[in-house]
Amino acid sequence: MNMIRSFFAVVLSLFLVFTNSLPALAFCGFYVAKADTKLYNQASQVAIARANDRTILTMANDYQGEAKDFAMVVPVPTVLKKEQVKVANPTIMERLDAFSAPRLVEYFDANPCEPVRRYESFDLLRPAAAPAPIASNRAREKAQGVTIEAQFNVGEYDIVILSAKESGGLESWLQDNGYKIPTGAKDLLKPYIRQKLKFFVAKVNLEKFETSGFTKLRPIQIAYESPRFMLPIRLGMVNAQQAQDLIVYILSPKGRAEVANYRTVRIPSDVNIPEFVKGEFSDFYKSMFSTSYDRENRNVAFLEYAWNMGNCDPCSADPLNPDELKQAGVFWLEQPIGTNKPQSFWRGRRPMPMASNVFITRLHVRYTRDKFPEDLMFQDTNNQENFQGRYVMQHPYLNETNCDAGKQYRAGLPKRFDQEAQTLSKLTGWKIEDIRKKLPTVSLADVSWYDRFRAYVR
Amino acid sequence: MRTPIDARLYQIGFLASFLLLGFITRDWQLHIEVVLTAIAAALTTQYLCLKLKNSKNLLVPLHNGDLGGYSQFYSPMITALGLSVLLRVDHPWAMAFAATIAIISKFLLQFNQKHIFNPANFGIVCAVLFTHEAWVSPGQWGESMWYVIMFLICGGLVLKKVGRWDTTIAFLSFYFAMEAVRNVYLGWTWDVWSHRMMSGSLIMFSFFMITDPRTIPNAKPARIIWTFTIALITFILRNYFFMTTAVFFALFLAAPLTLLLDWIFKDDRFDWFNLPGAITPEIKSV
Repeated sequence: MNMIRSFFAVVLSLFLVFTNSLPALAFCGFYVAKADTKLYNQASQVAIARANDRTILTMANDYQGEAKDFAMVVPVPTVLKKEQVKVANPTIMERLDAFSAPRLVEYFDANPCEPVRRYESFDLLRPAAAPAPIASNRAREKAQGVTIEAQFNVGEYDIVILSAKESGGLESWLQDNGYKIPTGAKDLLKPYIRQKLKFFVAKVNLEKFETSGFTKLRPIQIAYESPRFMLPIRLGMVNAQQAQDLIVYILSPKGRAEVANYRTVRIPSDVNIPEFVKGEFSDFYKSMFSTSYDRENRNVAFLEYAWNMGNCDPCSADPLNPDELKQAGVFWLEQPIGTNKPQSFWRGRRPMPMASNVFITRLHVRYTRDKFPEDLMFQDTNNQENFQGRYVMQHPYLNETNCDAGKQYRAGLPKRFDQEAQTLSKLTGWKIEDIRKKLPTVSLADVSWYDRFRAYVR
Repeated sequence: MRTPIDARLYQIGFLASFLLLGFITRDWQLHIEVVLTAIAAALTTQYLCLKLKNSKNLLVPLHNGDLGGYSQFYSPMITALGLSVLLRVDHPWAMAFAATIAIISKFLLQFNQKHIFNPANFGIVCAVLFTHEAWVSPGQWGESMWYVIMFLICGGLVLKKVGRWDTTIAFLSFYFAMEAVRNVYLGWTWDVWSHRMMSGSLIMFSFFMITDPRTIPNAKPARIIWTFTIALITFILRNYFFMTTAVFFALFLAAPLTLLLDWIFKDDRFDWFNLPGAITPEIKSV
């Protein structure tokens, strides 16, 4: 519609899709409670910085049970020494989340009777993530076939790296040491043992936690070198009754990452939706995600963001500075540019600022036991194409207008609103009647019937 | 009697449909200019190579008969469409490179008038190894039963015409069996195994790439040995080197073995114009 001048006066809203709405984190291992605490196991965030075979994996901890009950078991590809494990800055996941979250973009229609004017932009909601407390226990002994490969303390965590010969031995070791193993875990430990994976067992050292001054557990970060590029989600499904959400941020010097053994699908993006969604963007996104998830037969990974970290457009949060990138595990920043992604012999040398050899991919996987039997395998690709989950809100100009242009503009609005309503209904599964009730009303009393007709057929 | 339709035309039709299907239903980020680049590069290279080879009139048919003078462009068309379906690039030049080198390999890397590498496979491996702009997305078809059935039917139609069913069956049987043994050893539930086997990309590979009659061994026992080798290399690369695109590298590595197997097991070389059960031009002219 050429009568509508839409202006950039844009801005975004940003929201943390799951961190503040769904409790707790399962990650790719499982929690082993020391008491009959009810375990929540629904959403988790993992950052993987990877170049060649070197990996730095950060597991954010949203565990919300009793601190003293916390313990987790995660299969890892190699034995980890103390210097390969550290606690990460608690805010780093929030930064990655904020930078890559799906965004709502606003445009404002100008008064059709007046010349162009640019509007101010403003920030919308930005809720905070809500991690939680933990605790510890100690017990160490040798059970049959279980070897303690390393044992150390990092920050508030007591960590044991185990290797095992058979799952029964590992199970009894964990039980003997006071860990409550979820039923059915034993059978699932076997494949990991036979693949020669080690087990990273972490629990909280209560004294250190209390003296640390932190109220929440900080993320654990591990570094290793292995050709395996996977997340063992299967183990995390032992004590989960319902679908779990996993958000994976993959940082790579090459380009976009994808899941190699499931389809990776782009989340619907770049669509116009009614303006009332601004007040319920969080609900909108959750409904849209669920609808897409059902539509894709519940067995795909969704791509929510893929961007070179050197810039963003529009930015939902400031790009991470080099220090924050390092905190997120990016270890190749110090290296001379171009050693990681060799320059194309067609394009010649491109000037590359520091952060631009970090490409972030945000994948959102909602998984259940029946649809995701196999662990997630990833691969990084040379795909530099950007993608973002972006939803456009075009505010209409609803003040009184008397000029002809204004009348024609108003005559066109009902059709536009209806299209937006239909898009919204299709994306979220919300009832079209309910949506229509929330649409703004337009006074067309002074608009001639043929202007209305023209607007309708246009 | 009617002239039989060249099996390669079926293949062109199927590959073009898969491309369209992937674009429409599987959320592929296809760029039309990349597909056109692949086709243009493959056809042009074929033309130039033929010209260099014959330096006569280009469109003289390879065989007499009424099968058409353009049939020497079927093969580069299949290569171009195969590349478009399988190879993803960040820039059309990477696709041009893959298509060009794929066709050149047919003319340069040949022994006893038989090219050594499957052209599309050769193009994929070279593009992935040398351009830093190309990759393969093994998860692109997902693990849906419907796609498996579709590949089975379409692939079956082509294979029936060229008589190379044994290759696909042998490869899948060997590979499925190896993965099954591993599954039992590791103690995974069977849905892990079936999820791995149901991969649309794997099935498509076994129907449309491994079966190229011009690059696989001529004799049946040789083909069985050859597919076993590919299955074994795939299994090792995937499970011990964690390569997500293991099948393509396995086929690439096993390709030269064809020469040895053809030498040991003597049989007639495959000819598109002498298909089993088809009416050959000679017979027809009688």
